[in-house]
Amino acid sequence: MSRDFTIKIKTVSELEAFRKRILNDLKKARVVLTLCGGTGCQASRSEAVSTAVKDELIKQGMDENVHVRVTGCHGFCEQGPLCVIEPGNTLYCNVLPDDAREIVTKTVRDGEVVERLLYTDPVSGKTIQTESEIPFYRAQDRQLLAQNRQVDPCSIEDYIAIGGYSALAKTLFEMAPKAVIREIEASCLRGRGGGGFPTGLKWAKCREAPSDEKYVICNADEGDPGAYMDRCVLEGNPHLVLEGMMIGAWAIGAREGIIYVRNEYPLAVKHTRIAVQQARDLGLLGEDILGSSWSFDVEISRGGGAFVCGESTALMASLEGKVGEPRPKDVHTVVDGLWHKPTTLNNVETWANVPSIILNGSARFASKGSNGSKGTKIFALTGHIKSTGLVEVAMGTPISKVLFDIGGGPANGIPIKAVQTGGPSGGCLPADKFYLPLDFDALAEAGSMMGSGGMVVMDEGTCMVDVAKYFLTFLQDESCGKCVPCRLGIDRMLEIITDITEGRGKSQQISLLEELGHTISQTALCGLGKTAANPVLSTLRYFRDEYEAHISKEECPAGVCEALITYEIDPEKCTYCGVCKLACPYEAIMGAKEEVHTIDLQLCQKCGICRSECKFEAVQIN
Amino acid sequence: MLPLRLDSILEGRRSQPHQLIEVLQDVQEQEGYISEEAMRAISNELGVPPMEVYRVASFYKAFSMQPRGKNVITMCMGTACHVRGAKLLLSQATGLLGVNSGETTDDGLFSIEQVNCLGTCALGPVVTENGACHHHMNPSKLRKLIKSIRRAGMEETSDE
Amino acid sequence: MLQYVTLEIDGADIVVPRGLSVLDAAIEHGICIPHLCHVRYLSDIGSCRLCIVEHVVNGRSKITTSCTLRVQEDMVIQSNTERIRKLRRNLAELLVAHAPNSRAIQDIAVRCGVKEVRYPFRNENCVLCGRCVRVCSECAGANAIGFVGRGKNRRVDSPFGSLSEFCVECHTCIELCPMSIQPCIGYMEPGEERLCGACESQLDLADELPGHCVWCELGENFQCGRY
Repeated sequence: MSRDFTIKIKTVSELEAFRKRILNDLKKARVVLTLCGGTGCQASRSEAVSTAVKDELIKQGMDENVHVRVTGCHGFCEQGPLCVIEPGNTLYCNVLPDDAREIVTKTVRDGEVVERLLYTDPVSGKTIQTESEIPFYRAQDRQLLAQNRQVDPCSIEDYIAIGGYSALAKTLFEMAPKAVIREIEASCLRGRGGGGFPTGLKWAKCREAPSDEKYVICNADEGDPGAYMDRCVLEGNPHLVLEGMMIGAWAIGAREGIIYVRNEYPLAVKHTRIAVQQARDLGLLGEDILGSSWSFDVEISRGGGAFVCGESTALMASLEGKVGEPRPKDVHTVVDGLWHKPTTLNNVETWANVPSIILNGSARFASKGSNGSKGTKIFALTGHIKSTGLVEVAMGTPISKVLFDIGGGPANGIPIKAVQTGGPSGGCLPADKFYLPLDFDALAEAGSMMGSGGMVVMDEGTCMVDVAKYFLTFLQDESCGKCVPCRLGIDRMLEIITDITEGRGKSQQISLLEELGHTISQTALCGLGKTAANPVLSTLRYFRDEYEAHISKEECPAGVCEALITYEIDPEKCTYCGVCKLACPYEAIMGAKEEVHTIDLQLCQKCGICRSECKFEAVQIN
Repeated sequence: MLPLRLDSILEGRRSQPHQLIEVLQDVQEQEGYISEEAMRAISNELGVPPMEVYRVASFYKAFSMQPRGKNVITMCMGTACHVRGAKLLLSQATGLLGVNSGETTDDGLFSIEQVNCLGTCALGPVVTENGACHHHMNPSKLRKLIKSIRRAGMEETSDE
Repeated sequence: MLQYVTLEIDGADIVVPRGLSVLDAAIEHGICIPHLCHVRYLSDIGSCRLCIVEHVVNGRSKITTSCTLRVQEDMVIQSNTERIRKLRRNLAELLVAHAPNSRAIQDIAVRCGVKEVRYPFRNENCVLCGRCVRVCSECAGANAIGFVGRGKNRRVDSPFGSLSEFCVECHTCIELCPMSIQPCIGYMEPGEERLCGACESQLDLADELPGHCVWCELGENFQCGRY
């Protein structure tokens, strides 16, 4: 995909001239057809759609003046593949390859709207033509995500067209490194990866650290289950991240940068590689950038698949080719980081915020958000909610606004019980906390965490003890195993919770769980270990009654914990269709044709597949 | 067994211990697993003790030290998939194929793997089959998927 | 020339050479900070977490392991607060519940004040302190054993899982292994595990003088750095 650029951009005026030329070229297109090609839409076969659309355009002889742009994720993955057509800004959802012909004929050629492809509002039942009218988008403030729709991630021209690399030019020629750091400090930007450490302070400390060699690292090892905003930004707009890193590198005095990206994100790896190569080809990476005599280059390193590598010292160990085990941080990585050199590590979203702060000023950035948390933040809204996808809102927006105004409320009509934020380091907040603003401090105070921005919505059908067990299982699997509290402590917590979910729990175990949780959070070696008990501690805080029900009544109120439930087929409702019998992997369902089916409780493994398959709600939980 | 073709992977990385993970990634991709032979060769070429190569290969999820089946069914067990019933899918797959996750069927046709998040949470629960993503899965869709792969596999063997 | 720094541990001003860890400084001055993975002549990894202390900076105390913390001028350390004792006891409880068949582990439990074990005993034969692994690579230079796997599957193994061709048979790994010393009451079969408690005289010491090194017999068994 990488192409051979014959020209090099050597000065700022050449960059501006290049930009002008691209903009002129873009003006020639009468219609711009934007197709989402993010990982989500790709899973919904968006590639076939774009091929079909391009073929159709050629067939109808319109490929000359219609610009087809395949972009990164738009965030509304649930409705994908997505297609936006300008002028008119018409949004089509769930587009299939077979729709290409109608789209090209009606909308591109005749300017008409294909009604059946429009988004239908689940509340009013009416169709909506443009993105900006859809509640999911309307209530958002998409500072970063909006750009994803404007650029083809594999085209540096697209990025330059929307003003890309002008923040870099401004940095290199109009601002001293210290002025850059002051600007970032004034913006109050805090790390988007989880901890919320002030970015400007981090840079300042790294700049002060004495060394000839320094590094900047972009952490794109997004291991939090239920979070994918970093994937989306890196995959959809890699040059934005690159430009942010370059500005940071210049500010702290680094000449080398590394992007550490999860190998589970193949598209992000691919797009980042292309972006780095294009920037090198154009001379925006390498020696003497834009004639500033400053040199900088970026390497890409693929993660090996370890959640713990999201921790900075573990990530750096991994970059050095070692196992990703954290080490004690008595000396911070801004002084003693990669190869024992001063290192500034920020996550994707943090770097992506940098160019606009430099270009538009810290005041504009800081005008959004709450007291201690400025700017916007991207959240991944998933789980039992109507509209799932990526949501960008100003910090301090109440949780309820995200859940109900943007997300449209519960998916299956079952009331929402809790929302889990912050992944395995965060916690579950109950419905009576939904008034809380989404900012670093309010969430931490409530026993959860901003984390990287995952928001998993859980309805009344979710068992909170089971959720705690889920996270412990995850953490047990992902802990590096180096220190005693994390390795043995999590193991014991899981042992206790398993006892509880299987009806062997004792009431004193609840206080033991709490004591153990606090021990882990105070003594574990790394940041991830220190927060590992949060899912348990927060569910104990808000959903203690569920724990108690499991223990004293040996009952799972949500009907989830396998050992405490049995499945039964209601003979009144059973239509003898045989679907459950076919579905059961353990051959535990009996019953001939035209005969009420029954479940053999000896064979039943309580997986619940029969219940999910039965269309007549005949399988019931006791 | 085919002779290892590590030369192109090692090109430009020899005697650079910090390239260990990148090299293992490429070997995993090319060979489908990392054999002892490969680890010994990598240890020699990069100048990393065999213990360290073995340790790194055993630490990261991306590396498998046994050959995987012809078709790798990967179940996403992320939080969003979990609350939408990923456990059901895992039961369906393990029950249907008779192997646990991380194992390969006797005929070598299937391996079941688990991953902790694929980043397509909005479309959960998600299952990938040799890297191709299937979203909004349910047990019956998964059954059909496995059956169709099995059928294709049988046709292939009968053709031979 | 050696440079010296003055720091405060548990209210006492002590003077030690620069570059020393807080743990070594404390042990040298008769302040008892229990520890397991630390061996004086090996690198410190801070994995057992028993040697945690409170490091007071600007009135705020931060819990950290003393083996990985270097001494600094005017540093204030508290090694024996109520909070630290409780956390240390909980950690020792986790260890002894996991691997009770070791006099070293049993004695650490006593020294840290463990009076009951609230988890079902397991009869594991390794606590992953990593003494053997480090001595093998740092002293013997053999790299014949190392940590393999992660999380609950972490274990000590030799390359490729077979007895190592790199082993120089120096046996230092066995000498340093806390699991190689049987409890006073002898080997406990699965199901028979308990807190040993054979050294009741030492129990009193642990209660009365928790922060002072009294050259207890326990230290000898848990391979305390002072011996």
